Amino acid sequence: MRVFSGQVPWLLQRLTALFLIAALLVIFIALLFGVLPDYASWRAFVTSSHGATIVFVSYLAVCTHAWIGVRDVLLDYVKPLPLRLLLLMAISVLLAATAIRLLLVLGAALFV
Amino acid sequence: MHKHATSRPRFLNLLQMRYPVGAIVSIGHRLSGLLLIAALPALVIGLEWSLRSEADFRQMCEVLWSPWARGALVLMIWALAHHVAAGVRHLLMDAGVGSRLPRARASARLAIVFAVLCALAAAAGWRP
Repeated sequence: MRVFSGQVPWLLQRLTALFLIAALLVIFIALLFGVLPDYASWRAFVTSSHGATIVFVSYLAVCTHAWIGVRDVLLDYVKPLPLRLLLLMAISVLLAATAIRLLLVLGAALFV
Repeated sequence: MHKHATSRPRFLNLLQMRYPVGAIVSIGHRLSGLLLIAALPALVIGLEWSLRSEADFRQMCEVLWSPWARGALVLMIWALAHHVAAGVRHLLMDAGVGSRLPRARASARLAIVFAVLCALAAAAGWRP
């Protein structure tokens, strides 16, 4: 099964989109009802095991969606293969670096 | 790929090409996606900052609503609104809803107007 081309990314792009739309709706409705967090409740949410999991899984969905989106754009506009692979690697490194940083931040907040 | 096309006239004047409204939404979808990716490092660093201490949390909120950051915030809200609206339109079309031309054009206009209204609301200082 091909993971980086074909139906799998196509489907993943739509599943992550649905997930993120749902997440944004929850955030927006919470804001509409005036649930603007103060520091204590914000920290309590993010550093709870549920909160940290929700934040990190959502961010992984963002990264997956972003990677596939960039791949689609590069496939259309960047024809030379080496340059295309280089840009794809660059975006992968950027996304992975931010995800690792987020993991470290959440870990530090959870356990310190 | 285009070997046979050498004798044919090329028309690639971007200023004179006509962009139907669907094309504008599509380009906007890509552009807003790239903008949102560019904001991801700032998002993670912002989260880190907000968790450090109560003073840092307050400072971050202040910076976020300062006139300096307002421009970037409005741009990002436009990008998010446009990306989501164009994305919902895309998903509905996958499901066969509104893929005929008149409806597709109407939903394209709706997506553009929705995103601009969201950006204007943010620029005016409205918070949900």
